Amino acid sequence: MTAATTSSPYVVTPARVLRSEWHKFWTLRSSWITLAASAVLIVGTGLIVAANYDTGGREQVDPIQLGLAGIQLAWITLPVLGVLVTAGEYTTGSIRASLTAVPRRVPVLWAKAAVLTATVFPVTFAACLIGYPLAQALLSGTDQEAPLTDPNVLGAVAGTAAGVTALSVFALGLGALLRSVAGGIGAFVGGVMILPEIVGMIPIDAVDTAVEYFPAQAAGNVSALDALPGLPSPAASLLALGLWAVGTVAVAGVLLKHRDV
Amino acid sequence: MMKISHLTKRYGDKAAVDDLTFTVRPGAVTGFLGPNGAGKSTTMRMILGLDAPTRGHATVGGRAYAGHPAPLTEVGALLEARSVHPGRTAYDHLRALALTHGIPRDRVTHVLELTGLAEVAHRRVKGFSLGMGQRLGIAAALLGDPATVILDEPVNGLDPEGVLWVRNLLKSLAAEGRTVFVSSHLMSEMALTAEHLVIIGRGRLLADTTVAAFVRDAGAGSVQVATPEAARLASLLAGPGIEISPDGDGRLDVRGTDARHIGRTAATHGIPLFELTPQTASLEQAFMDLTRDSVEYNASLKPTAPTMEGASA
Repeated sequence: MTAATTSSPYVVTPARVLRSEWHKFWTLRSSWITLAASAVLIVGTGLIVAANYDTGGREQVDPIQLGLAGIQLAWITLPVLGVLVTAGEYTTGSIRASLTAVPRRVPVLWAKAAVLTATVFPVTFAACLIGYPLAQALLSGTDQEAPLTDPNVLGAVAGTAAGVTALSVFALGLGALLRSVAGGIGAFVGGVMILPEIVGMIPIDAVDTAVEYFPAQAAGNVSALDALPGLPSPAASLLALGLWAVGTVAVAGVLLKHRDV
Repeated sequence: MMKISHLTKRYGDKAAVDDLTFTVRPGAVTGFLGPNGAGKSTTMRMILGLDAPTRGHATVGGRAYAGHPAPLTEVGALLEARSVHPGRTAYDHLRALALTHGIPRDRVTHVLELTGLAEVAHRRVKGFSLGMGQRLGIAAALLGDPATVILDEPVNGLDPEGVLWVRNLLKSLAAEGRTVFVSSHLMSEMALTAEHLVIIGRGRLLADTTVAAFVRDAGAGSVQVATPEAARLASLLAGPGIEISPDGDGRLDVRGTDARHIGRTAATHGIPLFELTPQTASLEQAFMDLTRDSVEYNASLKPTAPTMEGASA
C-alpha cells in the first residue's frame, strides 16, 4: 500500500483480526463456563474413576485412560464450544458485523481457529497436568502406577490435550460449514461420535482400519500409553486429527469466501 | 460517492434486485424508498459485499467495498437485521469491531456517548430494547468516522425523541460532506430528511429524483366539488391549465385552480355547492401510486365474491 492512498492509520491486518477474535472469545460468558466446566470434568472424573479402581485391569485400560477419563466428556463440551465460536455468529446475526469489518472474510475464520487452539490446548493441558498426578496419588500401589516422569507418560498427557484441541477445531469448522449451532452440534455428535460405531460394524478389515483414523478414534489413539498392535501410532493419529481439523476449516474457508451471508 | 451499476440479484428465476443503476452523491441525504420486499436490504447487502450480485457491481469511494484496506472508515452501515451477539455488552461489541481496524478505545466511548448509550455500555445486549439495539447499530456505523453512511430503516423501533435524533443526525452527517444513504418504506419520513430519492419496486428502479421534484410532480392537489349543476360549473371553470374530471353523481375533481376561485365562480352564477374540499397533495399517496404495481403483497380492498357486495349494501 502506498502512503498516498490514505492518511488514516486504520487498516485491517491479520494480527488485528486475531486481537478482535480474542476479545470476542473472552467477552462471552459461554466461553468461560465451557472452559471451566471442561477443566473440572477432566480433573474430577479422573479422580472418581481412580478412587474406584481395583487393581488388575491393566490389560483393558491404561493409566492415562483412567486418570484422564474425564477427557471423554471434554470431547463433547469443547467441540460444542468450537461450534459456538463459528455457528454462534450466524445464529445471532453477529457474523454480518464481523464480515462487514473484515470483508475479506477468511482471516476471521483462521483467527477464530487460532484463538480456540491457543485457549483449549493450554487449558486442557493444565487440567491434565493437575488431574493426572492427583489420580495417580489414588492409584499408588496398584498396577496403574505410572508417574508423569515415566517414559511416554508426559507425551501421552500432552497428546490427550492435543487430541481434544484438534477435535474442537474440527467442530469449529463444522459450525462454519453448517452455520447453525444445532446443526453443528448434531453433525459432531452424529458424525463423529455415532457414525464410526455404525461404520465399524461393517465386517471389512479396510473399513476397520479407516475407522481408527476417524476424529474421535484418532483422539483416543493419540493418548494411548501402550502402542497397541494393529492401531495407528500416536504420531499418525495426531497427524490424522490435524488433517481433519485443518481440512474442515479449509473447506469452510473456501465456502465462507463464496457464500452469501 | 456511491455508484451502483446494473446491480442484479436473482434467487432462482426470481429477481430480488433487477438491473439497478444510480449514483448517490456526498453532502446530501439520499432516501432509498420502496415497499417491503422491494429489494432495499438486498441492495444494501450487495453494496457491503455480504451478498454477491448475480450481475453488475457497486462501488463506494471508487472501489468495491471489500477492496478498501479499512472498510469501516470508508462505509459505516446499519443493517436491517440485528448484527450483535446478545451475550456481549455494547462496549465489547464495538470494541471487537474497532480492534480489527486498530481504532482506539476513545472512539468506542465517543460513539457510545454520541448515541446515548454510555449508561448501558457495559450491559449485555440481550436486555436491550429495539430502540437501544438500533442506537447500537448506528454507533457501530459511525465507529470508523466513515465518509459514507448506509442505514437500513434507522428509525424502526425508535421513540419519537429517537426519530428526531436520527433525522438531525442524518442531516448533520450530510452537512459534514458525507454520503448518506438511508432506506425507508415511509415516504413521509423521507420527505422530512432526504433531499434526493431513489425509489424502487420489485427490484427495479422507479424513480431517481429530488424530493422537491417529486413533490412538484405529485401535483399541487385538486379540489373536490359537489354540485347539482356540475356540467354548468365545469363549463364556467374551463380554461387553460385547468383540468376538470367529472366523476358523475354531481361531483367534479378540479385541478389547476383553487377552492377560493371555484367558490367565487359558483356564487357569481348562483350555483349551489354542497361540497368544496381542497385535496392536499399527499406524498404518501404519490409514492403509493408510483409503487402500486410493484408491491409484493397487494392487500385486496375490493370484495371478491358478489354475495358480499349484496351483503354490504
